[in-house]
Amino acid sequence: MARDITERKLAEEKIRQLNAELEQRVVERTAELEAFSYSISHDLRAPLRAMGGFARMLQEDYAAQFPPEACRQLERIHENAMKMGLLIDGLLAFSRLSRQPLNKRTVSPAKIANRVLEELQGELEGRHVTVTIGDLPAGEADPTLLHQVFVNLLSNALKYSRRRDPAVIEVGAREENGRCIYFIKDNGAGFEMEYAHNLFGVFQRLHRADQFEGTGVGLAIVQRIIRRHGGRVWAEAEPDKGATFYFTLEGENTHV
Amino acid sequence: MSDDAVEILLVEDSPDDVAFFVRTFNKTNLAARLNVVADGKEALEFVFCTGSHSARNLANLPKVIFLDMKMPKVGGLEVLRRLKADPFTRTIPIVALSSSNEERDLIESYRHGVNSYIVKPMDFDQFAETVRMIGQYWLQFNKTPKL
Repeated sequence: MARDITERKLAEEKIRQLNAELEQRVVERTAELEAFSYSISHDLRAPLRAMGGFARMLQEDYAAQFPPEACRQLERIHENAMKMGLLIDGLLAFSRLSRQPLNKRTVSPAKIANRVLEELQGELEGRHVTVTIGDLPAGEADPTLLHQVFVNLLSNALKYSRRRDPAVIEVGAREENGRCIYFIKDNGAGFEMEYAHNLFGVFQRLHRADQFEGTGVGLAIVQRIIRRHGGRVWAEAEPDKGATFYFTLEGENTHV
Repeated sequence: MSDDAVEILLVEDSPDDVAFFVRTFNKTNLAARLNVVADGKEALEFVFCTGSHSARNLANLPKVIFLDMKMPKVGGLEVLRRLKADPFTRTIPIVALSSSNEERDLIESYRHGVNSYIVKPMDFDQFAETVRMIGQYWLQFNKTPKL
């Protein structure tokens, strides 16, 4: 009897040790990956700035001597360099998220959504937009990160509804199985549900760049934040009818 | 070489960024002599008039130093630390030029006493505008103590 207990204790100790080692390895790998993306992002910027810059210098100095087609092509070089710059910025923002500690406390999502809406006022100029922010239950979240979620989801809603007059955006919540589901609904361009699985991948886009600009990082960031909170994010949409993005902040695992 | 010319120092290891900076700076008509060195080691030699810059007049300190933070061997932080630790050079304004917008890089630079931190814009037009603005600010508007 006494020996059984000793053996069990030893086995438990062994498991604890293995777990600790595993955890340590995950921490190390994550740090390596972060250092890697940090360094490529910064080292990629310099040559990119040079490419765009020299194209610009050619335009400035020789525009009069070049045929118009050559000037247009130089402009395309410059534009593409700038675009890649935005992609790198997005990648950086995405990788920065993983390094940021999660400081959860009780927050008011309605207050955060209202503040974000104020920050986005510039994008409402010259448009007819109705935004309603409903009665959103308080939740446990990191205020800075939840703010970022609302920035990305609300600016998407505004972007993809910009051809609507009026654009209608609703921020709300509903309860399901004792858990709160927040949503942001717009009457914008929407998308086909068969491509919805691509929606949250880095650099994945469901719209052409000449219709709706963007780098395809915003929703990847949203998903990363929500997952870190232990929640889930998903979307429902129909082309030309609009899209609704849903997210929960916690408790998803217990209900699967 | 007139020794009372206003000296400014650009420490930058990328020849491309040097080309952009010099091109724009020369268009500003700011009355200053722009010296360019390619690494942190030479930057310290320039300021302290040693090595390849031993012929320079030590009393003619640069009015401002534009410092790239990411350089091989002696990096920007090290140059910053050395110049801010020395009472003789402590008052020279140092403007960090960096590709990094990371919070930790800003904190490190300010902890080491940087006077300004500029993220190099990706866009050439913005880069040129930034060089014009910081050149004008540090050479025309900002006052530094005369030693």
